[in-house]
Amino acid sequence: MADLSALQQAVIKGDRANAVKLTQEAVNAKVSPKEILDQGLVAGMAVVGARFKKNEVFVPEVLIAARAMKEAMGVLEPVLAKAGIKPAHTAVIGTVQGDLHDIGKNLVAMMWKGANFGVIDLGTNVPPEKFVEAAKQHQANVVGLSALLTTTMPAMKKTVEAIKAANLPGVKILVGGAPITQAFANEVGADGFAPDAATAVDVAKKVLAA
Amino acid sequence: MNTRERFHAQMHYQPRDRSLIWDFNFWRETIPIWHEQGLPKDIKHDYTGAGTDEFFGMDPTARWTGYAGLCPGFEVKVIEDRGDHEIIQQDNGVHVLRKKFMSSIPQHVRHLLVDRASWREHYKPRLDPAHPSRINAQRAKEHSARGDVLLLSGGSLYGSLRDWMGMENLSLVVYDDPAWFEEMVTTMADCVVGTIQRTIDLGIQADACGIWEDMCYNAGPLLSPKHFKKYLVPQYRRITDLLHRANVDVVWVDCDGCIDHLIPLWLEAGVNCMFPIEIGTWGADPIKYRQQFGRDLLMVGGFDKHILMAGPAAIDREIQRLTPLVEEGGYIPLADHRVPPDVPLAHYVHYLKSARRVWGKNTNLRPMHPSIA
Repeated sequence: MADLSALQQAVIKGDRANAVKLTQEAVNAKVSPKEILDQGLVAGMAVVGARFKKNEVFVPEVLIAARAMKEAMGVLEPVLAKAGIKPAHTAVIGTVQGDLHDIGKNLVAMMWKGANFGVIDLGTNVPPEKFVEAAKQHQANVVGLSALLTTTMPAMKKTVEAIKAANLPGVKILVGGAPITQAFANEVGADGFAPDAATAVDVAKKVLAA
Repeated sequence: MNTRERFHAQMHYQPRDRSLIWDFNFWRETIPIWHEQGLPKDIKHDYTGAGTDEFFGMDPTARWTGYAGLCPGFEVKVIEDRGDHEIIQQDNGVHVLRKKFMSSIPQHVRHLLVDRASWREHYKPRLDPAHPSRINAQRAKEHSARGDVLLLSGGSLYGSLRDWMGMENLSLVVYDDPAWFEEMVTTMADCVVGTIQRTIDLGIQADACGIWEDMCYNAGPLLSPKHFKKYLVPQYRRITDLLHRANVDVVWVDCDGCIDHLIPLWLEAGVNCMFPIEIGTWGADPIKYRQQFGRDLLMVGGFDKHILMAGPAAIDREIQRLTPLVEEGGYIPLADHRVPPDVPLAHYVHYLKSARRVWGKNTNLRPMHPSIA
């Protein structure tokens, strides 16, 4: 009998061996792959995300949980693909032009993957046109822009302008990074602002539902 | 009073003629931009503050004695030239992608420290405290004779390991191989303790000790407080116990980001001074910290660099707001990180003049260059 609550716990604890084993058992038991994903892996990462937001767990605990989910997804992805199940949302993410920082951006990408977003990571120092091109190519619903430096905040503004000028239907733009504030997000016309990686999932879901 | 006497009086809540007027230097690209705004071209950027301190009339910056990092360092070399960017091997063995003319944190592209074998082969041997190049006693004595503040190198227990391995890799080691994580942290502390002991044995009396960690980001620490307490606090204790025996009771830690979760643990470990109190979007505030932690917590920093960008009225308001804390002591104000290039030179000069008048009481100050005085 597949135990999705045990799978959820394995993800929360970052127990990758058990996460893989329990995912395989659920697949073998013909549990719907969507159910395994939503009630096991994503539910586990949601608990981790909530604890992260409340500072009950920290970066290493999130990393081991995300690794457990990733390895379990190695078992589940072929089954999801066979069933034609795709992520509900697709996100493009990158650090804006002139900025080489990637820790915050990587954490947000990890949290979005944990919430079953398809994530295309463009890396660092990404020019505005590359964000536009990737959003078009992957039919993204969300574009996430990261900056660590006050000096690269103008590049974030330019990128928002470029994405808006491209008139991509349904694309929401989220911004974040150490110097970024809600006021700055409003000023540049972003659809959402995530003050930290832990809240990036909630903010993305909120702007997508709006 | 000389700089050292003023430092001790300020850090120990004792009477003094005025506050120290210090800053945490500038981003490398700030100075060329300021050249366009009127700064004489012969004033060059220098991380020791040698040229800029004199020009701006700052009190001499604290001087390091001893080095508890990698000895010898790795060869610094260009691995790949990409036009305005380059991949270089840093002296810590890490390959990074960086802008050629930018002083900001570069992007790591390859780490040499990946497992126990690479630790044993490349890093552990470079952490021998007995390495002959760790201490320059002559220079320390010269600084001391000039009345400079002498800082012992407290090295780093976590921050350097994170640099050498990458944050994600080191975070996983905490769970995958905790014994190795503990061994690395202990080795780092051994190097610090051994280097400080050698410095003491040479008869050098330091005024403070500086530890570098940079282990927090805008939402909190990169390592859980639980692991911090388990692995780092006992090792900090070894360092601070030695320092206290040597009459060094100001032990500061350089850590950007939101440090709120770690301050109580640092205090527990005997690390009693926070630097540079980055204000950030998380709203750190030296005044609130004093209310929360009392006089046991010493602070250096805490003047929001964004206020330097905002202009004279905002600068003056913030100087007035911080003045009671400066007067009380246990606190030396300075910009909460190196001054970035988006601070206009005119704002910075205004800040300095106000700080010199209010905190420096226009008393016994080093003169500013006539072009800005």
